[in-house]
Order: sequence, then C-alpha cells, then structure tokens
Amino acid sequence: MAISPLTKRKLRRFVGIKRGYYAFLLLTTLIVAACAAELLVNNRALVVHYQGHWYFPTYGDILPGHTFGLGYDYETNYRELAERFRLLDGEDWAWLPPVPYNAFENDLRPDTLPPEPPSLARRHYLGTDASGRDVLARLVYGFRIAIFFSLGLMAATYVVGISLGCAMGYYGGWFDILVQRIIEIWSTVPFLYVVIIISSIVVPNFWWLIAIMVIFGWMGMTWTVRTVTYKEKTRDYVLAARVLGASDLRIIFRHILPNTISLIVTYIPFSISGGIVALTSLDYLGFGLPPPTPSWGELLQQAWANFSAWWIGFSVIGAMVTTLVAVTFVGEAIREAFDPKMHTVYE
Amino acid sequence: MSAYFIRRFLLIIPTFIGITILIFVITRFVPGGPIERIIAQAQQQSLEGGQAVASETVQRQPLSDDQIELLKKYYGFDKPVLVSYILWLGKLVRGDLGISTRYYDPVWTMIRERIPISLYFGLLTLIATYGVCIPLGIAKAIRHKTLLDDLSSVLIFVGYAIPGWVAGILMILLFASHWEWFPLGELVSENFDSLSGFQRVLDLAWHTVLPLLAYLIGAFSFMTFLMKNSLMDNLAADYVRTAMAKGLTFRRAVFGHALRNSLIPVATTFGNNISVILSGSFLVEKVFNIDGMGLLGYESVVERDYPVVMGVLAISSILFLVGNVLSDMCVAAVDPRVKFE
Repeated sequence: MAISPLTKRKLRRFVGIKRGYYAFLLLTTLIVAACAAELLVNNRALVVHYQGHWYFPTYGDILPGHTFGLGYDYETNYRELAERFRLLDGEDWAWLPPVPYNAFENDLRPDTLPPEPPSLARRHYLGTDASGRDVLARLVYGFRIAIFFSLGLMAATYVVGISLGCAMGYYGGWFDILVQRIIEIWSTVPFLYVVIIISSIVVPNFWWLIAIMVIFGWMGMTWTVRTVTYKEKTRDYVLAARVLGASDLRIIFRHILPNTISLIVTYIPFSISGGIVALTSLDYLGFGLPPPTPSWGELLQQAWANFSAWWIGFSVIGAMVTTLVAVTFVGEAIREAFDPKMHTVYE
Repeated sequence: MSAYFIRRFLLIIPTFIGITILIFVITRFVPGGPIERIIAQAQQQSLEGGQAVASETVQRQPLSDDQIELLKKYYGFDKPVLVSYILWLGKLVRGDLGISTRYYDPVWTMIRERIPISLYFGLLTLIATYGVCIPLGIAKAIRHKTLLDDLSSVLIFVGYAIPGWVAGILMILLFASHWEWFPLGELVSENFDSLSGFQRVLDLAWHTVLPLLAYLIGAFSFMTFLMKNSLMDNLAADYVRTAMAKGLTFRRAVFGHALRNSLIPVATTFGNNISVILSGSFLVEKVFNIDGMGLLGYESVVERDYPVVMGVLAISSILFLVGNVLSDMCVAAVDPRVKFE
C-alpha cells in the first residue's frame, strides 16, 4: 500500500508530538512484551540443561517430573528443580523467567497466610493476592487479555459502525430514519445493566463478551460515520464521480471512505481505553470473564475487599493509570496530527 | 420552533416504549426470577425439615402445579409477555410502579427514598463542575501553550483516562484506609441520629468529600476541554479580530464577545444533567456504599427484582429523553442562529 504524501505528513506530525509519540512507543513495547509474556512471567523454565540435553519447556506440552529424574508424573516444578540443581552443584542447571510464577498457581506457604506483601526473596515482586497468586503475573496476563479484548472489540465495533454508518449516510431516506430510531432506543438502554442481565444467564467467554458488547455498543461509531458520510456525500467530487458513471459501491469505497478514514483513526485510542475500562468494570462487578481468568477488575475487587493488602490496589491502579494515560496521550496526539486545528490569536 | 419541540416531546413516547419493552422482554426470558427463587427456597426448607420419605420427589419439585400457577398469577407471569407489558404500562401511567418481588415494598417508595441521596451528589457535582471547569477552561484557552496550560492538561488527561470509581478505590486506599482522614464509605456515621445539628452537617460533609471527588473526576475533564476548545475556536474567529482592530483590549474582546459565543457548546450538554443528577453512577455508589438510585438499580438487576429494575429504568430513561430535548431547547435559547424545523 502506497502511503500518500498527505498521510506521510500526518505521521511526521504525530512523531513530532513528543508526549504522544513516547506514550505510543511505551504502549507498543508493553503489547509486544505481553505477547511474549510466557517468556517473562511463567512458572516454566526458559532453558533446562539436564544430563547433556537441552530442554525449552516454555511452549508446548508439559514435561512430567520424570524427565528430570524427579519422582512424579505431573508437571515439573521448575522452581524446585532449579533449587535442586543449584544444591547439587553439578553440570545441570535451569534458567527461570524473571518472575517465576504463572497467573493461576496458588503459592501457599506453611508459615504465612495470603495475601503476602511484596518480597524480593520470594520473587513476588508485587506480593500475592487473597488466594496466594502472584499479583505481577496476574497483572501481566490480565493486561494481555484486556488489550486484546479491546482491540477485538474495537475492530468488531468499527466494522459494524462503518458499514452501517456509510449505508445510512449515503443512502439516507427511510433506511436512515429507521436506523436513527433504533439507535436512539438502543443508546438509552443502560449498557451495563443489559450485559449484567445477559451474563447472568450464560457465563460469557472472551468471544461471547465481545459479541454482547458489540450488540450494545455499535451506536457511537455508526453515528459518527453517518454524519461524516452525509457531509462528504454532498461534496462536488462525489457528484463528479457519479456523473462519470461510478457505481455506488465504487463511490463509497474509493472516494468517500478514504476521506473519512483520517477522522475515524482519531477515535481508535479512545475506543481502546473505553474497552479496557468496560471490561475492568464488568470484571470488578463479577460479570465479566469467568474466574480464574486473570483480570484487573478482579484484582480491583480484591483491593476493595481487603484494604490492608495495599499492594494489590496500588499495583493494579498503577498499571491501569499507566496504560490508560498512555492510550489517552496517543489519542490526543493522533487527533492533533490527523485533524489539526490551527489557532491564531490576535493580541 | 414550538411545533418542533412539541414533536420532539411526542417522539419521547415511542422511544420510551421501545426501551422499556426491550428490557421487559429480556427480564422475562432470564432464568432465576422470583418463582425460581421461591421454588429453590421451598426445596431448601423441605430438605432442612428432614422429610426423608418424600425427599426424592421434593428435590425435583417441592411445589404442586397449582401452587406454581398461583405464584405465576401473583407475579403476573401467567399472561403472555405483551399483555403483561401493557398491564405494566397501564399501571405506570397511573403512577403505580408495582411491588418489589424481593422486599415486598412498593417500588415507588424504594425509589423515593433514594432520590434525595442521588440528588445531593448530583447537584454538588453539577455546581462544582461548572464552577471550576468554565473558569479553568477560559484560563487555559487564554494561556494556551503556557506552563499553566500544560500542567493542568496533564492532570486533566490523567483524570480523563481513569474512571471515577477506580480513582475512588485509590482514594479509599490512601485517605481512608492508610491515613484514616476520611471514612471508608456510607453517607453518614452510625451515630448520626445522636448528633446535634451542626455535627450532623460536619459528619455529612466528611463523608461527602471522597465520593464527590470520584464523581467529579469524570465530568471535569470533558467540560474543561469543551470550554477551552470552543473559546479557542472563537478567539481565532474574524469577529474577534475585528473587535481587536477597532481598539478593544484583549480582555474586553474575550469577555465581551468571544466568551458568550463559546458558552454555546457548554450549554448543549446542560439538559443532560437532569439524568446525571438523579441516576448517578452505580459504580461510584458501589465503591463507597452509598444507597443512591444507581446502586438500587444495580442491586435490583443482580437480585432479579424486576419491578424495581423496570421502575428505575422507566424513571431514568424518561429523564434521559427529556434531558436530550431540554439540551436542544438550551441551544435554541442561547444561540439565535439555531433554527429547529
């Protein structure tokens, strides 16, 4: 795809807005890191060197304890394995990720009760939650779910919104009026109520939840696209295209859509932060993804229920603030770069 | 113009019916309604009663078909959905919202008890939002790209990015749990009744601070930016240049000419306040344990108390729809150029 000089200039302007650009870099890093979360936060070792063989247990099937000469059939406990190798002081070694816990295991100790405060010695850098799971691990995996959830939600909402909005704006008439009524009714329906009612019937999984949220959240984008298309449709270039004999579909896809895309792009970051907040709210109330899915909302619920475990609340709120503020900064920079308003003040 | 607004008010009716019918139908098909709950309770009771002989049949169905028919009749589940919806609507028109299937109180009484609480927070939020956002927006527009503007922008962005209820949890963690400056929640202390008049006011104010801040965080950033952007648009307009060119001071040009026009977008959102004032945010109310309208609605959804769900929905959607029309009336009132036909 060729990048037009106009888009190039917009991108350059975006890079020029430092606050937004650095926030964008930070977010990209976080998302890439979250994709490779298994390498950073996991209870499986990255590399095990045992009796001259190399093992890479991170991805793939579980390796039973027998593989490493341990007397059990279930999955190897790599933390104990690494400790054992160190005590034996032989050729063998195991290399664990920086955070050697996954998001689901309860690391219960005989001497204390969870939640445990942060401890470097135990490598629970942000402590554990009320059932002894590592907070950092749950934060990281929760972030991955939340960000891909909102990306998926955004994509689905935009597909519905853009196609319906374009059709409404371009064809107008009774179709436009009918969908307008539906939108008015639909947007007055309290969104969270309906999601709560529905998710009390079916325990929603990832895709279900996206589907439910698209069904009750497509209106905003549709309305925006409708308005823009409506405006573009009356412009001379559309008239010219029609006089030349272009079909409706060609006018929409080749002429109107490319002209609206720069406006639509400015909405993306705000949709993403909206998606994260919506998922977190639902999880907080207990109507989001089913437990034990790692989620920020569930951590917030725990923080709200035990105030003494301050590390849970501060970790998750810190993570949320960082992510959401970064997304908002990117959004602001994109808006400024793609849809600039030059202000001249006379003084 | 008045013909337009009469039409708009009449259009509220079909939209209102659309919304309520949608939720009514959904609530009908959701399992776990009052009848299922009573059956489960009866099961529980007979199991506890130790009727070992009949336990096999009891576990399957503790109530006879006749009893279930009676229950259905009592809760109005014996008729088709549309018929009972029309019955509900008929009662609503006569001001009767029905009886809670959970607490057996009239729904209207339950809602009426909560309205003052939501109204209290709503009005305070409204006053604080407009009181701070308009001056701040003006200051930011005039001092665009200065230190004041950049600093407050960062703060406002942080406030915009974080939902109010999350900020609420953070504030509880810091100011209520750690430093114990403020209470953990609720609207008044337990010994409120034994306090004297002035102490009561203090107690209420002490409990109000954190929830009010949580409410403000969301509304705040939106209004400030709306004010700032619209004033900046006007400052760049030709008529301000003309005003300056004929020798007006900058201050007079801003306050005498630009400001009036830039209040128009702020006015367009004014009507929507009536629904915000009365229904509040149930997430903030849940975090702070405040018994407002929002929490009532949320709890009724969770507890499947459908008459209350429908009652809260009816009131809040009427407010929302009326608020939309009021917003347009505000626009027409402040901007003579706007003509609704």
